[in-house]
Amino acid sequence: MYRYVFFGGKGGVGKTTASSSYAVKCARQGVRTLLVSTDPAHSTRDLFDQAFDDDPQSVAGYENLDVMEIDPEREVDNHLSEIKHSMGDQVSQSMVNEIDVQVEMAHRTPGAYEAALFDRFIAVMRDSDEYDRVVFDTSPTGGTLRLLALPELLESWIDRLIHKRKKAIDLYEKAAIGNMEPRRVMDGDPIIDRLQTRKERFEFAGRALREDATFFLVLNPDELSIRETDRAIDKLVEAELRVGGLVVNRLTPEPDPDEQGRGARFLRDRVETERERLAEIEETLSPPVVAAIETRVAEVKGGLLDEVADELDIDVTTRQAA
Amino acid sequence: MALAEQIDTYLDAVEEWLRGLYHGMVTHPAYEKIEKEAEDVEDTFMLACFPDAFGIPSPVSYYTAELLPYLTEEFEAWERRLWDRGTMLERKGQQYHF
Repeated sequence: MYRYVFFGGKGGVGKTTASSSYAVKCARQGVRTLLVSTDPAHSTRDLFDQAFDDDPQSVAGYENLDVMEIDPEREVDNHLSEIKHSMGDQVSQSMVNEIDVQVEMAHRTPGAYEAALFDRFIAVMRDSDEYDRVVFDTSPTGGTLRLLALPELLESWIDRLIHKRKKAIDLYEKAAIGNMEPRRVMDGDPIIDRLQTRKERFEFAGRALREDATFFLVLNPDELSIRETDRAIDKLVEAELRVGGLVVNRLTPEPDPDEQGRGARFLRDRVETERERLAEIEETLSPPVVAAIETRVAEVKGGLLDEVADELDIDVTTRQAA
Repeated sequence: MALAEQIDTYLDAVEEWLRGLYHGMVTHPAYEKIEKEAEDVEDTFMLACFPDAFGIPSPVSYYTAELLPYLTEEFEAWERRLWDRGTMLERKGQQYHF
């Protein structure tokens, strides 16, 4: 099994249930596991009945299992204040205002949220040496998925920026006549330095996602969910990412055969429809269905989590990186 | 001796004038041209970094915002150049001092 495992899907389908169950499953097998939640609602804390934060924390009652919650909004704010801070060091106050507008704007764009999240993903993947497996519970935006497919694009964009910057500096150096100081110098240029660091991070992310990560998509047995999953698979495949399988959640439990009441008839009809949907999923979507989880009477937590973990037919064994 | 000195001074003056003339007509415009070209390249660099300054959304502006503290002067000059620039012809023609 791959080192980084992502669970995705549209809102409310049960990503947290699936990812947490899988994390529990891994941990039970003695695999040191980190579960990373990015859902702003942070259902992980309800699931484990424990408060988590930005730092990995061990879960009471489970060995080998740590959980961390990333708050993208806070990440954006941190990034913003970091920039402002370094601006205070670098720039005179009179210049700050002009630049402030641009900095603020960059953090209020729709993409900022995903960019911050992606940044954090990369950081978590880089510093995850003490774990054998990192399970990501991604937030329900299509944006996250899109961003995970982006490292190459971002990388080539950054590459282009580096190239342009180098060319401009080269020309400035050539334009400095005699003893004149060139307007910019290549040596120790902070811009090239930063861009290079960025590029390396995207390179790492691209490699890790292609070679050592797999995606599981969670869906419910209804048309909308199936469509959406179909599109998500296309996107992932297009980005040359691996889709390990599908987790179908919220299946209606079948009533006992001797029950004939109205409720039982309703359930039987529902089960029939869902069976067709499940067949459709197995037929039309290429990744294998690795679990079909029935709706529980109550929220999946505590002991129920272990039960669901048993239903997941996903490999947990660690392997050497490909 | 006086004549030789006179000739030397004269030649020095001529040489200085020629050097000045060469610098003014050839060297300086050439370097100016290179510097202008550098500015142009820098402009495209800045545009690729911050297209949203002109209303074009970009997936990298979140990351390039990190560069701004080091780019303040360039950023100001860039915005001014872009807003001020009339036509490409005008910009490219500036090197000819008619």
